[in-house]
Amino acid sequence: MPQLHDVDYTLEYPYTRTTGPVIGPFLTGLRDGRILGQRCGDRVLCPPMEFDPDSFASLEPDLVEVGPGGEVVNWTWVAEPSAKHPFDRPFGFAFIKLDGADTDLVHAVDTGGDPEAMSTGMRVRAQFRDERHGSVADVYFVPEADAADQVIEPGDEPVTITEHLIGLRINEPLYPHRARFAQGLLDGKIIGQRSPVTGKVYVPGRGYDNMSRVLMSEADEVEVSDVGTVVAFTELNPVQYYGQTETEPYVRCSILFDGTDQPVIGIDIRDMTVDEMRVGMRMRCIWRDPDERSVEDIDNRYGNIPETVYARFEPTGEPDIPADELKEHSW
Amino acid sequence: MAPRPCAVIGVGQTKYKRRRDDVTLDGLVREAALRALEDAGATFDDIDAIVIGKAPDALEGVMMPLLSLCDALGAIGKPIHRVHTAGSVGASTAISAVNLVESGMYDTVLTIAYEKQSEGNATWALSGGKSGGQGAGGTFAPWIRNYIARSQAPEHIGWMVAVKDRLNALKNPYAHLHLPDISIEKVRESPMLWDPLHFLESCPSSDGAAAVVLGNDDIAKKSGRPPAWVISHAKRTEFGQFPGRDTVRPQAGVECSEALYRKAGITNPREQIDCAELYVPFSWYEPMWLEGHLIAEEGEGWKMTDAGDTELGGSFPVNMSGGVLSSNPIGASGMIRCLEAANQVRGTAGEYQVPGAKISIGHAYGGAAQYYAMWMVSSELNPEF
Repeated sequence: MPQLHDVDYTLEYPYTRTTGPVIGPFLTGLRDGRILGQRCGDRVLCPPMEFDPDSFASLEPDLVEVGPGGEVVNWTWVAEPSAKHPFDRPFGFAFIKLDGADTDLVHAVDTGGDPEAMSTGMRVRAQFRDERHGSVADVYFVPEADAADQVIEPGDEPVTITEHLIGLRINEPLYPHRARFAQGLLDGKIIGQRSPVTGKVYVPGRGYDNMSRVLMSEADEVEVSDVGTVVAFTELNPVQYYGQTETEPYVRCSILFDGTDQPVIGIDIRDMTVDEMRVGMRMRCIWRDPDERSVEDIDNRYGNIPETVYARFEPTGEPDIPADELKEHSW
Repeated sequence: MAPRPCAVIGVGQTKYKRRRDDVTLDGLVREAALRALEDAGATFDDIDAIVIGKAPDALEGVMMPLLSLCDALGAIGKPIHRVHTAGSVGASTAISAVNLVESGMYDTVLTIAYEKQSEGNATWALSGGKSGGQGAGGTFAPWIRNYIARSQAPEHIGWMVAVKDRLNALKNPYAHLHLPDISIEKVRESPMLWDPLHFLESCPSSDGAAAVVLGNDDIAKKSGRPPAWVISHAKRTEFGQFPGRDTVRPQAGVECSEALYRKAGITNPREQIDCAELYVPFSWYEPMWLEGHLIAEEGEGWKMTDAGDTELGGSFPVNMSGGVLSSNPIGASGMIRCLEAANQVRGTAGEYQVPGAKISIGHAYGGAAQYYAMWMVSSELNPEF
């Protein structure tokens, strides 16, 4: 029999950043082996800014090369680097005042893992990575004495848009009421929660009655019918976005199961067209075989009755419920 | 103590586009802010507090955008607040800024709302980042179907709204979509995305920002530019799902408009309000909000659309600027509605000006149609009805 598992998925998207008239040339410079600062009155800002940080007045792009040498103004030590850090050995993060700049750049200093080699006032020099993408990580710093001379081939097009895969891994147990709901689906049962105050039945229960503001627990749980009434539907033509696996249109509906007071939303119908659906139509859940049921799509926030537990929803053939009677159950 | 009178004294918008590939997010927001300050004849030095809004962070993947925006908006040494009510946020943000002036706490407040949607994907974000998500269109389409069934509206109503708003947008240089050859046939024949909503009945995905400078009565009277007095505003909320919820005519929307009209002394919105900027991201929401916000009787909203009443030049123009159907940087869209309502009563709406408009409303809704924010602006501080 399929088992319940902890929630474990990564929410991620390849976001882009438009770099604009000042940051774009700065990143282009890094790719091409140069560090640029922005003139602001008689000062040079590095990292460059689009506006005067004191008056907030806009600055016309006016970039000037700074560095590659500079002085550590202050620093801290990263003893245990993470996978996303620029080095796989211990290193320093430092405020670096580059030669020719009037502000500090926060960046990474590689001393070969030796914290004793770091000090305030030390001289450092920029080193460029072999593979550069127009990113602030194209460069890093080393003690000046360790710096190597580099010949950097400039790239072609200016950097205008950068891409960043930003993600969040979610790994947590299902909340107890979500786990019992999911287990119910594996067992071929729809579990709801009956409010101890109003007697209204919620499917799936959310662990509390939002209308009466009382907690609901296992003691409030009831198995409800797997026969219900369609209260709303549409046919989706899936928008193609990152991670989308749906390609063909399909019907999605909300069903008010008998004996419940709030429809279950987002039920997929794969074997009927939108023209075959009606508000008020009576439908019955035809479950998958127990060994073929899965609730992997259920987490603590999303997922009601996924199509991975049922084979289809089938019209019962009973007369429709008049739409007027469903007015207050339209979602 | 009566609230201190509050007026719009400056507005600023960016050109709305699919992708503003020439500015950073901060630069985009500054562009709108600087234009609003210029319109108000003010600088950052004149601003006492700043209120910003945007849709959920997943749209751009920038967590805590305030970290850089407080610098970019000159907020150092001043209070800055962020408002967060999903798609209605632009209007909620504007009203939160009004509260700061009305309370007497601050004289001049800058409020800005934005979205740079090209940095992410709204449908991905509004689908919880998962495959098979229904996004906004998939959420609202079933309710629209139920509205159509309940009101017996003919199917061409949605197409009419889609055409009308795009024709209005041709008069608005800031609008994202300029579709001079839009037609009922084109709308009807565009791909069906979320039955009954066609592609051309849906809002675009835009980059853009909108900003408003608000001042109290002393500031407004000193300003050389015509003020739009914020004579009433209301916000209401309901759960996204609960037993007994009517998604076609959400109770919070009804109550929000009742509160808005009561505070202003409006007894007959259809007659006493000159025009409205309503949040219509999908064509059918025009008749749904005309009814849901008590401008038309239940079941009668689509007849206003059908009769041409909501056209520019009709008896109750709606979305003169082209509306959300023509420009949709989500977080900004509610503020744009408020700002465009102000443009109408200031007489600064250019080619889409409703002649002689004195009273207008700006409106937004958000989440699963569960957050409502509305404001009413007037060319006079104490209009007679």
